[in-house]
Amino acid sequence: MAHRRCLHSALLHATALISLKKSPSLSIVKALTSKPNPGITTSNLEPSWFIPWSYIRHFSSRKSDDSENEAEMEESSDGEGESDEMASDMVRDYSPEEKEAEAAAIGYKVVGPLQRSDRVFKDYEPVFAVVQIGSHQFKVSNGDSIFTERLKFCEVNDKLILNKVLLLGSPTQTIIGRPILPDAAVHAVVEEHALDAKVIIFKKKRRKNYRRTKGHRQELTKLRITAIQGIEKPEIKTDGKPLKAAVKKPEKIAATA
Amino acid sequence: MESELPTFKEKNPQLEVVTELIRGQHPHLKGFYKNKNERVVCVKNMTPEDILLYATRLRNALGRKVVKLRTRHVTKHPSVQGTWTTDVKF
Repeated sequence: MAHRRCLHSALLHATALISLKKSPSLSIVKALTSKPNPGITTSNLEPSWFIPWSYIRHFSSRKSDDSENEAEMEESSDGEGESDEMASDMVRDYSPEEKEAEAAAIGYKVVGPLQRSDRVFKDYEPVFAVVQIGSHQFKVSNGDSIFTERLKFCEVNDKLILNKVLLLGSPTQTIIGRPILPDAAVHAVVEEHALDAKVIIFKKKRRKNYRRTKGHRQELTKLRITAIQGIEKPEIKTDGKPLKAAVKKPEKIAATA
Repeated sequence: MESELPTFKEKNPQLEVVTELIRGQHPHLKGFYKNKNERVVCVKNMTPEDILLYATRLRNALGRKVVKLRTRHVTKHPSVQGTWTTDVKF
């Protein structure tokens, strides 16, 4: 049945190409038109299937590529135009804000508004989260700083919300996401966009008179994590030492249990 | 440079931008940071767009010394649920 369907598609391709009247594939078309006919008539004999089937496969794959490319060219020429525009827009500014939002979603961050005179930097809370940015994952807590690849679409002193959170943990509770937690959010602030120290890439092949020196500075973004949401935080009040002892006890109990 | 300066000044009202004409030296950009660090960038023979790029880089950066990073994750409290040792049993 599958063979008949594929043959049918091959025939369709052949007929489509014949109708289009493409000169370079005429000979192949002739070969195709000759081959499927014996294939259909001798459907009972398997070996005779395979030999023309293999030829048909080759031709049909080429044809399918051509026809698919043609169809894609005709139907999705707008898409290609958009992709070309996107490729050129990579260098220029992203004028539509929707595209910025899409690109931010790819990098798992949502840019919030700028902050001025807002108390974002809280004291340390014993809660951690495993967050993913781009292709790197970090175990993050309140008040940490993280160096990531240069994030587009965010200036210095911007608030970000990292929404790809894989794990949340506290001294009493652990929430594991499969693979991400939908309701969790990690708030961060962009501290700086800076260049890393220069790395010299030196290539040499000995006795071949080949030596190349290249300098590279990676562009980094420093994020400071301000808040983690999505987990119940153990309430710890302002006292220092006695509460440290109290906190340590549940940690040990949880560890040993 | 003159065309880009006013927009740069408006975008960064928190910065004090001073232009001086220095004779006998190459033109340079000097960034003064809050940790009393100075970063100097020579802009000899650069187009205004490049100068703007370097100026924005200086503005984006903190004044820390440009050293190779030791870790990508700087934290004061590495463990929340207790550091694992061989004695810990779940």
